[in-house]
Amino acid sequence: MKALRTVGLLLLGALVVLPLLWVLVASLKSSREVVSSPWALPASPQWSNYAKAWSEAGIGSYFVNSVVVTVGTLAILLPVGAMAAYVLAKHPFRGSRTIFGAFLGGMMFPNLLVIVPLFVLLTQIHLIDTKLGLVAVYVAYSLSFTIFVLTGFFQTLPDELGEAAALDGATDAGTFWRVMLPLARPGVLVVAIFNAIGLWNEYNLAKVLIQTEPNTTLPLGLERLTMTQHYQSDWGALFAALVLVMAPMLALYWPFREKIAETMVAGAIK
Amino acid sequence: MKRRLSPTLLVALAAVGCGGPKEGTALRSGGEAGAVAKGPAKGTLEVAAFQGGYGIDFYEKAANDYEEANPGVKIDVAGNPRIWEQLRPRLNGGTPPDLMFPGWGMDHWALAEEDQLEPLDAALDGPPDNGAGKDGTGKWRDTFEPALLKLGQLNGKQYVLPYYFNVMGWWYDPGVFKKHGWTPPATYDDLLALGPKIKAAGMAPLTYQGQYPYYMIEGMLMPWAFSVGGQKAVDDAQSLVPGAWKSPAMLKAASMIVELKTKGFFQDGATGLSHTQAQQAFLDGKAAMIPCGTWLYSEMKKTMPAGANLEFALPPVVKGGAGDASAILIGIEPWMVPSAAKNKTGAIALFRYMTSLPVAKRFVEEKGTLTAIKGSDEGKLLPVLAKPSAAFKASKAVWADQFRNWYPGLEKEVENALTAMLNGELTPEAFCDRVEAAAEKTRKDDAITKHKV
Amino acid sequence: MSRPLRRGKTGFVVSFLAPAVLLYAVFVVYPLLQALAISLYRWKGVSARKRFVGLENFDKLIHDEAALQTLGNAAWLLVFSLVAVFVGGLAAAHALNHKGRVARTVRGLILFPQVVSIVAVAVLWEFMLHPDPQMGLVNGALALLGVKAHAWLGETATALPSVGVAFVWHALGFYILLFLAGIKGIDGETMEAAELDGSMGLHRLRTITWPLLWSVKRIATTYLVINVMNVFALVILMTNGGNPDRHTEMPLTYLYEQAFENSQFGYATSLAVVDFALAMLLSLIVMAIYRKNPVEGRR
Repeated sequence: MKALRTVGLLLLGALVVLPLLWVLVASLKSSREVVSSPWALPASPQWSNYAKAWSEAGIGSYFVNSVVVTVGTLAILLPVGAMAAYVLAKHPFRGSRTIFGAFLGGMMFPNLLVIVPLFVLLTQIHLIDTKLGLVAVYVAYSLSFTIFVLTGFFQTLPDELGEAAALDGATDAGTFWRVMLPLARPGVLVVAIFNAIGLWNEYNLAKVLIQTEPNTTLPLGLERLTMTQHYQSDWGALFAALVLVMAPMLALYWPFREKIAETMVAGAIK
Repeated sequence: MKRRLSPTLLVALAAVGCGGPKEGTALRSGGEAGAVAKGPAKGTLEVAAFQGGYGIDFYEKAANDYEEANPGVKIDVAGNPRIWEQLRPRLNGGTPPDLMFPGWGMDHWALAEEDQLEPLDAALDGPPDNGAGKDGTGKWRDTFEPALLKLGQLNGKQYVLPYYFNVMGWWYDPGVFKKHGWTPPATYDDLLALGPKIKAAGMAPLTYQGQYPYYMIEGMLMPWAFSVGGQKAVDDAQSLVPGAWKSPAMLKAASMIVELKTKGFFQDGATGLSHTQAQQAFLDGKAAMIPCGTWLYSEMKKTMPAGANLEFALPPVVKGGAGDASAILIGIEPWMVPSAAKNKTGAIALFRYMTSLPVAKRFVEEKGTLTAIKGSDEGKLLPVLAKPSAAFKASKAVWADQFRNWYPGLEKEVENALTAMLNGELTPEAFCDRVEAAAEKTRKDDAITKHKV
Repeated sequence: MSRPLRRGKTGFVVSFLAPAVLLYAVFVVYPLLQALAISLYRWKGVSARKRFVGLENFDKLIHDEAALQTLGNAAWLLVFSLVAVFVGGLAAAHALNHKGRVARTVRGLILFPQVVSIVAVAVLWEFMLHPDPQMGLVNGALALLGVKAHAWLGETATALPSVGVAFVWHALGFYILLFLAGIKGIDGETMEAAELDGSMGLHRLRTITWPLLWSVKRIATTYLVINVMNVFALVILMTNGGNPDRHTEMPLTYLYEQAFENSQFGYATSLAVVDFALAMLLSLIVMAIYRKNPVEGRR
């Protein structure tokens, strides 16, 4: 029985990892090798594929854009989300449950459903095809999950801490910044990483809201690559681009994998 | 990046524009008709162009040359392969570029219908460019091939001008054909006779770009409908005349495609191939012929195997059909001036320069594609362009696949039905019924503006 | 617990809530309301010209075969993935509910597909399914077994299942973890008692584990419904947006086509409104199905 379990687990692991490994190996092949056999290993690793993907194919600038957008979004999302979550958790008032429910509702509908009005809105306020516009939209659409998780987190912090701080003369805001937020750091960290992964990989909204090269993020850029004729034949560079898109997130995820799994599941089981 | 014209320049423009007889066209910005028709470009000018197989380097050079001949104007040319995505919000927001070639993804007829494009009839009645950035003699209108000009009109007004255009046909490797003693089929019967010989040599007679059915529509379905039923058959279909999509001509064309499929003329698995994959298979000798436009060479030259060659032929015609045997299917690549552009005079002046005979000739020589300017193909032609150019000149019936731009929804349905038919899921009759139903739906939908050929 | 607000606290509450509420209201709530409005207009989206046409778009929608086809495809994908996730996910969760290095490592690996971009998943799978056995991993593997190569994404019978496989590959990890948490949550004592009773393997799975996973099953189904309705990138990239012949067309890809290819902003938005309503309806149905927890009160 145990042997069966181990074999099953190894199979599962292989199913997950094999395609990714395959891409990695393919990224080191020359284009000729890619079209001759899917099984063959590269005769000699073509590291130049990565250089080509980075500069010629533009992955380098897409990478930078993704970093800017992801970091920019987090820089606004985390404080704004934490502040709102704190109030909803620790200082509820009449109507706060409705507000919380409204934020929750945002997780329920596919955000692409509102692309047309969103497109129109951003055009009207001249934020279409700008990183700032994308960041604003990303923050807004990440608030649901962030507030949901952080509210739950803040609720686990004992009220006595806040009362003690108040007795010490701290303001409500002061209590938050100096006592509660530092305590919430592990929760905020996980939420940050969770969001970072989602933001880095975001495609649907970027496709509609970003039109020009200088603002293109990685997922969009990768799509452009596959469509641009030249790279439809330069397979090695295309796979290298794929690796450059996937690797950072895998690297970010691995050290935090258990925490992320916990959060994902906790977030689902209300 | 838009810079505002200084008041002085505006006055200068007005002064330039006010000279000479004004055309009587009533335009939204009254008095602009004269200003737009004549005069060199001044101030700043923004050009947005689709960056396809021919790149944008030619337009950039033309802009530079024009700047040198006309100091006082600064031109900025931008381009990318999906430029229409960026242009849509700008058109929506009222800040479009001055001159644009938005590419196949832009619904430019929707723009025309909503008065987003400047009518260019007045400008066409003015003088052309003499190739050095100055006025030439005669009318600009007369320098264009009339059949191509007509394709840019809506309700009698010229909204869109053609620059380069594509010719659609079948391509083969003359070296391969010579080696086997084959001749490209002139009629459908010739094709049926040739097929088995090609198969015996280990090649598929035909391949096609399965993922993009419009190649087949323009390479087989429509030309054969034309050949059987004449110009009227395709005109009626494109004009959404009831029953036109299941006319005997259309039905015959669909049946011919199915016949070829049943006789094994098509390369195995072609339905799943992308355009570059199918074209590469053809170049690698896996198939003898492929339908495509004159961009084929430019698109595939980097991966053409050594010793391969390309030659153009019109699709085989149906003997005894009502259609002219010299009929040729073309497609124009449209340039336009948004009505909300800041420097319309400049945009038109630059385009006039680009369409001057010397510049147009240079485009043909450098890019290997034909332009809509008369006489532009009389320079040094790339060998692949010789036959298409000759066929165009000799043709007594030049026509275009216009419904593709007018009714994208209908086009999609025809493409889907064709795929289904090629996969064996629809008989020719069922195909025609399905497409006719789609045409009916389009006809009845008031949200879709109707056009006539 | 709602406490009455202290004096001076209002400023604090408002200032802390305002940024989030403002951003959310402008970019999430307002567009949602706008969607309802725009769906009542005819609008090409290339200028500011709109025309009010009341319910014309909705009437068009009801008679739109393609729109109905997208719903059918989504339903198919839902059933396909429900089966794959519940069967495969549960089995995997069972196997992973185990101390040991292999289990721990695999537990970490299974989220890999979720963590890489959906664009990467789509491109990767499109390539793996390449019709040429010299390029595609799947056809290459089949060639070793002597099976003929197929154009998995090009043939109408296999296109949607192929997209389904990529979809499940991408999503499965999360559901495995969900089931795992559920299994772990089943009272240790209940499990021991069941073992002592002699109930084993499959029987235990059916009579004990399965019913006790009720709440997790409800969550999994709800999430799957949302995930399926959300499918967009996968189809756009793998099948060029719904090919062949709309067999892989999804509600969102059709919406996108109507808005940005057919210049029908108004109609596209009406599609969005209907899709949204249907998604909500489905969620309510799921909630109704899972309304009564069969093991509640039995503790």
